[in-house]
Amino acid sequence: MKITEADVEYVAKLANLEVADDEKKELAGQLSSIVEYVEQLNKVDVSSVAPTTQILETVKHAVRDDRVAARTGTADAGKTVKYFKVPKVITER
Amino acid sequence: MNLRDITADKLVSLYQNRDLSVTEVIAGVFDEIDRTDKDVRAFLTLCKDRALEEARRIDSKIAEGETLDALSGVPVAIKDNMALRDVPTTCGSRILEGYVPPYTATAVERLRGAGAIVVGKTNLDEFAMGSSTENSSFFATRNPHNFDYVPGGSSGGSAAAVAAGMSLIALGSDTGGSIRQPASFCGVVGIKPTYGRVSRYGLVAYASSLDQIGPFAKSVRECAQVLSIVCGFDPYDSTSADVPVEPFLRDIEQPLKDVRIGVPKEYFIPGMDPEVKARFEDAIKVYEGLGYRIEEISLPHTEQAVAAYYLIATAEASSNLARYDGVRYGVRKGGESGLADMYRKTRMNGFGKEVKRRILLGTYALSAGYYDAYYLKALKVRTLILKDFQNAFEHVDLVFTPTSPTTAFRIGEKIDDPLSMYLSDIFTITCNLAGLPGISIPAGKNAAGLPIGVQLLGNHFQEALLLRAACHFERAFC
Repeated sequence: MKITEADVEYVAKLANLEVADDEKKELAGQLSSIVEYVEQLNKVDVSSVAPTTQILETVKHAVRDDRVAARTGTADAGKTVKYFKVPKVITER
Repeated sequence: MNLRDITADKLVSLYQNRDLSVTEVIAGVFDEIDRTDKDVRAFLTLCKDRALEEARRIDSKIAEGETLDALSGVPVAIKDNMALRDVPTTCGSRILEGYVPPYTATAVERLRGAGAIVVGKTNLDEFAMGSSTENSSFFATRNPHNFDYVPGGSSGGSAAAVAAGMSLIALGSDTGGSIRQPASFCGVVGIKPTYGRVSRYGLVAYASSLDQIGPFAKSVRECAQVLSIVCGFDPYDSTSADVPVEPFLRDIEQPLKDVRIGVPKEYFIPGMDPEVKARFEDAIKVYEGLGYRIEEISLPHTEQAVAAYYLIATAEASSNLARYDGVRYGVRKGGESGLADMYRKTRMNGFGKEVKRRILLGTYALSAGYYDAYYLKALKVRTLILKDFQNAFEHVDLVFTPTSPTTAFRIGEKIDDPLSMYLSDIFTITCNLAGLPGISIPAGKNAAGLPIGVQLLGNHFQEALLLRAACHFERAFC
């Protein structure tokens, strides 16, 4: 499947990325060749195969009691910065 | 002092016997870095003051007659995608500029707990995405064996630091070969443990179902020693495996009986460098000479591994890297013109080319209409790759391959051709997809003097066997 410059623009928007106009053409070409390469997966019959999302499902993964036990306190976090300044994230419609 | 001719346990015993002081050794390491790193460029940040302070503290313990810990005063280098409290973590990216973690990664904390001294943070491909360390936003690291060549990647700084004698031990991370491939290119030992073996608390996530931390050293023994310290359950990492850690050093020299090694026929690909192939065939003979049984095996889905990997890894990366948006970390651009604009401008300015490329590919693979065709299919092929190994491990104990189809390539050679760069990981990727432990061991050099590595893969949690077999090879080969 060929990736067009319009595809790059669309996916960039989904990914919250801005891509400069001169980068779009180069990215479309590179992504096209990568996508063409990965399409070799179509040669494999996976109709009766389940997907693997986690490799070691037999291992009991770490859970702990639901108690507050911070390794890093807020006092430590505050050592590198005096305060946290964030931009306005709520805007009026 | 250059560390090329000494091992960690020898160094600790020289300290304990007061033949060397930790302070003089650590000061000597920084002199060596001053001389060597202007060419190699392995380090992004040096921790000279705190390292010397820790050295003096250990020296006073020695003066008081205290017994030293396993790695007391041993210099270690840390890939700069792992947190060390009060020292910047950059991930080789502009987007984390100014970020200083208020905590230390568990693996680093455990090394420090055993007395190791962190000398610095090493260069990497941005967010560990690359195979050459050229994708660092700061500078490329060079191969200590020939400065015109790459050290491999993404843990190229860590591999080069050990190979050049600027550190005795280094930690790296391996998502598709990022420890083993640079170990091979730089002529050192590097191991990626089983998925879940080493806590990833404090490791910046790239592809969470694949990432694993592991050590570099000049010898298998030292890797085994470090591994027995950093492995093990950690309540701070929900994917850390609650599986007992054997003392990997204990029986490492003991001979093994009736061990079967499988050599997968699919790894003899047309693109393999003839010199790599020749050294690999020599290496097979070494194992035969040691009494191991060599068998040809088949891993039929090897050819699809790179394709499956670059869909899964980039899909996970596109999600993991969504957090770098100008709100929480480092760089912020366009904050005055609204939230959406700030996200996009921050990410455009902060991320390098390869990171953007992978985020776009991963986003594409996950997007509506393409999810089933790309991402889901890759997850199913991953199942087949895992099954290939499960079938193989019914007949053999270990799998043996070259680490990389070629030796180190020239700086700049593959930087504009991402697909050819991705294909350089072809022998290391299956191990991550299947969650197996894998080790790269030096197996000589090519005619031009560039190192060649061979790779042993073991079944899940079989690090003890893997290290023993690797140690036997190392002894017989040298």
